[in-house]
Amino acid sequence: MLIENPLSTSPSAYPVLECFHIAGFALAIGMIALVDFRLLGFGFLEQSPAQIERAFRWWTLGGLITAVFSGLLIFSTDPDMYYLNRSFLLKMTLLVIAITFNYTIHRQSPSGKLSKTSTRLIAGASLLLWASVIFGGIFIAVVAPGLG
Amino acid sequence: MLLSILIRLQNLTWFSNFRSSAYVYPVVLALHLTAISWFGAMILATDLRLLGWALPDTSAAEVIRRLRTGKRIGFVIAAACGFVLFAAKAEEYYYNPFFRTKMLLFAFVAIHALVFRKGVYAAPAGLAGGPDPPRRVKLAAALSLLFWVGILCAGRAIGYVAGRAGMHYR
Repeated sequence: MLIENPLSTSPSAYPVLECFHIAGFALAIGMIALVDFRLLGFGFLEQSPAQIERAFRWWTLGGLITAVFSGLLIFSTDPDMYYLNRSFLLKMTLLVIAITFNYTIHRQSPSGKLSKTSTRLIAGASLLLWASVIFGGIFIAVVAPGLG
Repeated sequence: MLLSILIRLQNLTWFSNFRSSAYVYPVVLALHLTAISWFGAMILATDLRLLGWALPDTSAAEVIRRLRTGKRIGFVIAAACGFVLFAAKAEEYYYNPFFRTKMLLFAFVAIHALVFRKGVYAAPAGLAGGPDPPRRVKLAAALSLLFWVGILCAGRAIGYVAGRAGMHYR
């Protein structure tokens, strides 16, 4: 190997990165879920869903950025394993869908312009979509060593 | 005494089967993490409000009241999944330094609740104030954040301790 990845040579780097990864996604997914629970009629009932979305918007983005960047570093420790891992590929697909969904359709839903049914469907879809990203992540270790 | 109870627990048919299942174990682990995400954010939202960093237009008492039920449900789900994960390898967890750290931090959380319940969490009047909360309120929130982040990291680290030989698995 020409250059050794310093993250692979330190035994504590990987677990520490994972802590950042978990804290980041818990922050982002949890904050998005607060909006979803409100859309479903739970939690902060005295605020509108839009107010809650605004209050936690930057915390959500901060969590997402932390999770994505720690994730990229984790990926860098064993790229070909991840690249060939079915669960990882599924997780990335779900993640792209979830982020796109969050910043397009989901962002419109707190405004209150949609019907009750479609609002609830969007909230439910959001909760399921983000949970499925977590499941995809956990199953990377189950389906390893991947396709090869 | 404790150890013999734990060995008996992990060898109950249900937990034995769970331990050797290729797919049920990761599903429960993923549920554990999903519950942590959803309901951890409720703890965080409360703490951020107590620190005066979020929801300035909503009173802290309101935030605490509105999230109380959700937090309880979330904690029960995360703890139930966590117990199943623990019970399947109870003997090994008993020796795991990070598991012990995590349990110690849970004890701190319990003490924290007892200490601050009266002055902070169950005292809406003292919380009604504006965007800059009193110091003891901020202290309660900061300690809560510290303990819960510690629990998160200790929990992750449990899996990095090498498996022990000579466990009494049946």
